[in-house]
Amino acid sequence: MKKELREKLLSAAPLAGMILLGILFLVFALIKDINIPYSMKNILNQSIITMVVATGAVYIYTLGAFDISLGASMCVSALVGAMAYNRTGSVAVMLGVCVGCAVLISLTSSLLASVFNLPVFVTTIAMLSLLNALVLVLIKANGTGDVIQIPAEAVSKLNTVGFKLLVFLLFFGLCVLTFNFMKLGRQEKFVGGNPLCAQLSGLNAKKLSVIGFVMAGLGVGLGAFLTITYAPTLSRNTAGSIGMDVIISIVFGGMPVSGGARSRIYSAAIGALSMTLLSQIMLMLNLNSGIGQMVKAAIFILVVFVSMLNNRKTILPR
Amino acid sequence: MEMLEIRNMHKSFGPTIALNDVSFSAQSGEVLGLIGENGSGKSTATSIYAGMQTCSSGEMFFKGEPWHPVSMNDALKRGVGMIVQENGTVPGISAAENIFLGETQEYVSGLFVNRKKMNRDAQAALDAIGAGHIRAEMMTGMLDFQDRKLLEIARVMAKDPEVLVVDETTTALSQKGRDIIYGIMNTMRKEGKTVIFISHDLDEIMEKCDRLTVLRDGKIIRTFEHEEFEEGAIKAAMIGRELQGSYYRDDYDGEVSSEVVLAAEHLNHTDQLSDFSFELHAGEILGIGGLSHCGMHTLGKVLFGNEKAESGSFTVHGRQIRNEAEAMKEGIGYVAKDRDTESLCLEASIKDNIAIAGLDKIAVHNAFILPSRENSYVDAQIKNLRIKCNDRNQYVSTLSGGNKQKAAFGKWTGRDSSILILDCPTRGVDIGVKQAMYQLMYRMKQEGKSIILISEEMTELIGMSDRLLVMKDGKLQKELFRSRQLSEADVIEYMI
Repeated sequence: MKKELREKLLSAAPLAGMILLGILFLVFALIKDINIPYSMKNILNQSIITMVVATGAVYIYTLGAFDISLGASMCVSALVGAMAYNRTGSVAVMLGVCVGCAVLISLTSSLLASVFNLPVFVTTIAMLSLLNALVLVLIKANGTGDVIQIPAEAVSKLNTVGFKLLVFLLFFGLCVLTFNFMKLGRQEKFVGGNPLCAQLSGLNAKKLSVIGFVMAGLGVGLGAFLTITYAPTLSRNTAGSIGMDVIISIVFGGMPVSGGARSRIYSAAIGALSMTLLSQIMLMLNLNSGIGQMVKAAIFILVVFVSMLNNRKTILPR
Repeated sequence: MEMLEIRNMHKSFGPTIALNDVSFSAQSGEVLGLIGENGSGKSTATSIYAGMQTCSSGEMFFKGEPWHPVSMNDALKRGVGMIVQENGTVPGISAAENIFLGETQEYVSGLFVNRKKMNRDAQAALDAIGAGHIRAEMMTGMLDFQDRKLLEIARVMAKDPEVLVVDETTTALSQKGRDIIYGIMNTMRKEGKTVIFISHDLDEIMEKCDRLTVLRDGKIIRTFEHEEFEEGAIKAAMIGRELQGSYYRDDYDGEVSSEVVLAAEHLNHTDQLSDFSFELHAGEILGIGGLSHCGMHTLGKVLFGNEKAESGSFTVHGRQIRNEAEAMKEGIGYVAKDRDTESLCLEASIKDNIAIAGLDKIAVHNAFILPSRENSYVDAQIKNLRIKCNDRNQYVSTLSGGNKQKAAFGKWTGRDSSILILDCPTRGVDIGVKQAMYQLMYRMKQEGKSIILISEEMTELIGMSDRLLVMKDGKLQKELFRSRQLSEADVIEYMI
C-alpha cells in the first residue's frame, strides 16, 4: 500500500509542483503588487511556444530517442515560412510552409536513421550542422542585413494569447488523442520500453520512429509559425534556446528521461508552464539570471533523481 | 554444523506479502532443495540471504554468526553466492569483465587495467567449471543464453563460496550445462559446503537434494527428509491440493488433420539451420528437441519472421512470411525463450503487455482504443490464464516468474493465434502453472490450432508432442511419432 501510494504521489508530483508554483507566483504577485492578469498573459506568451514544441517532442523522447536539432529546425522553418509570406503575402501559406518545412526536416532525420540503420540522435547531430549552415545561407540570400522579416501588421492580429492558446489546444488535443487513445501511443511507449520485445510483438520500430518524428515536426512547425507571429523579425538566433527548453520542460513535467511505458503526453505542458512560473517567481525575487539558471539546474537534477528513484524497482525476484 | 539459518523472516512488496514468518536452516555438506509454486517466496528468501535485498523483519545467521550482507558482492566476498534465475550479466562488456565485475581495481597497475591478467584469471575460472569453450575476452552480448548463465556460474565459483544458491538455473541449460551445475553441487557437498537448490523440476530436485523444504504463499509448509521424498506428497504440499487430471496429455493416437498450415523447405541460416524442411499440420503439437546449440531456438525466430533464412523458404497457409507483422497476420504467435528481454516489457503493466500484440483486435477501425474494450480484452486473459496479480495495471516486473510467463502467453492467446511457436514455454514455471499450460496447449490442439513446442525438457516433448523432430547441428536428425513406448533414451540417441 505504501509503495502504491508513493508511486501515485510521485506521478502526481509534477502537477502538484506546477500548482504550488502557481500559488507561490500569486502570493508574490500580491505582495509585490504586480498586475496579475498582465503577468499571467506574459507567462502564457513565454511558455506556449515551448509547450507546443515540447508536446510534439514527447513522441521522440517516448521512443528513448533524442533530437538535438529541434531549435535549428524551428529557425529554418520560421525563415522559410517568412520568405514564403514575403513572396505570397498569405499567412495561410506561411503556416503551411512552416509546418511542411519542419515535418520535412524531421522526416529526413528519421528516414536517414532508418535507411542507414543509425541511432536517430546521430542523424539529428548531422542535421544540426546542416540546418545551422542553412540558416546562414537563407539569411544571406533573402535577408536584409542579418535578419529576415515580415511586416509586423501582417501577423499582429494573431499575436494574441487567445490565438496561441487555440493553436496549442488544437495540437495538444491531437496529441492526447493519438498518444492515449490510439494504437500509435501504445506502440511508441512499448518500443521505448523494450525495442526487442516490441519487434517480437510485431511492431515496426522504424516506422513508428518516422511517425514520432513527423508528430514532433508538426509541433516544431507550429512553434515556428507562432514565433513569427510573436517576433516577425527573424535572425540566426531565433529559437536558439528552444532545444534546451524542451528537454527541461519534458523532464520537469515528470517524463522519464529514457522514455518508455511511463511516458506522459501531459509532461511537456506541465513542465513548460512550471519552468516559466519558476522564472517569473525568481524575477519577482530580484534574483539575477545567473542565480536563476543555477536554481533551474539544481531542480532539473533533483527531478531526474526523483524520477529515477521512482523507477528503481523493488521487485519481487521471480 | 549449521551453515545457514533464517529465522522468522517477513518481507512485503506493497500489498503483497512475499514471506510470512519463514524459518529454515541448512547444514554443511548438505544440498537443501527449495520448492514451491511461482510466487511462493523461494527466490525472495534466498535473494535476501544473498544480499540482493533486505527483509522487512527476521534474523539470518551464517555459520552461527548474525548475517547482514549489504549487497550481493558483499555476500559473495564473505562466502555466500547466488546464481539468479534471469540474466545476471552485462552484455556490453567482456566475459572477463563480467566475471570480475566490481573488482576491476584489483587488476589496476598504475593507470591501466591489466587486461591480460584479468583475462587469464577469468579463463581459469571458466575452465574450472568446465566452460572452457567460452573465451574470456569475448563480448558477453555475443554469448547465447546458456553461455551467459555459465559465465554467471564461473563468476560465483571464482570466489569459492561456502554457500551457493542455485535459483531455477538448470531449466535454462542444456544437459551439458546442467551437468556442470550438478558437478559443482556434488563437489561442494563433499567439501562440507552448502547448496540451496531451487528448481521446479521435481525429478531433478528429488534426485539431487538431501532435504527438501516446500514453500507456499510465502510460508514454509513442510520439510521432507530424503527418505520421505514422494512425488505425490511433495506436489500436494506445493499446491495445497491434489493435482486433478493428467499432467501431460494422456492420449497416444497422435491424430492430426491432413491440412498443412506451415511448410518449410530447405531452410539454411548460418550454422544454425542446414537444409531444414518440415510441415506443420492443423491441430498438431510438433515438438522440436535437441541440445541447446542445435539450432532449434533459431528456427523459432526464423518461423516468426524475426530472423531471415539465408536460403530456402517457408509458407504459412500458402503465403510467405517476411517479418513479424506478416507472421502475426497469418495467425502466428511467438513466446521467446528469454522471457524478460524478448517476451515482455518489464517496466510496462500487465495490460500494456497483453494488449500490445492484440491492438489490431482491440482497436476500433484499427486505430482507436476504447479503454473499456481494452480492459475487458486484458481481463479475459488474466482470468483465463489465472495470472496472480493485484490488478491489470500492476507492473510486470513485480510478478513472479510463472505469472510473467502467463502474461507472455496472454499476448498470443488474446489474439487467438492459430499457430503458436513456444520456445521453452515452461522454463522457470511451477508444476501447477505447467499443468495449466499443458492443458491450454492441448485445448488449443483440440480446437484445431497448431503448436511448435521447442524445448530442452525431453519429458515435456515426449509428453505433449504428436510428432517430435530431433535436431543436431542445424539438421533434422530424426522424426519420432507419438507413442506410449517413446522414451527419453530414444530421443537422446539422436540428439548427441
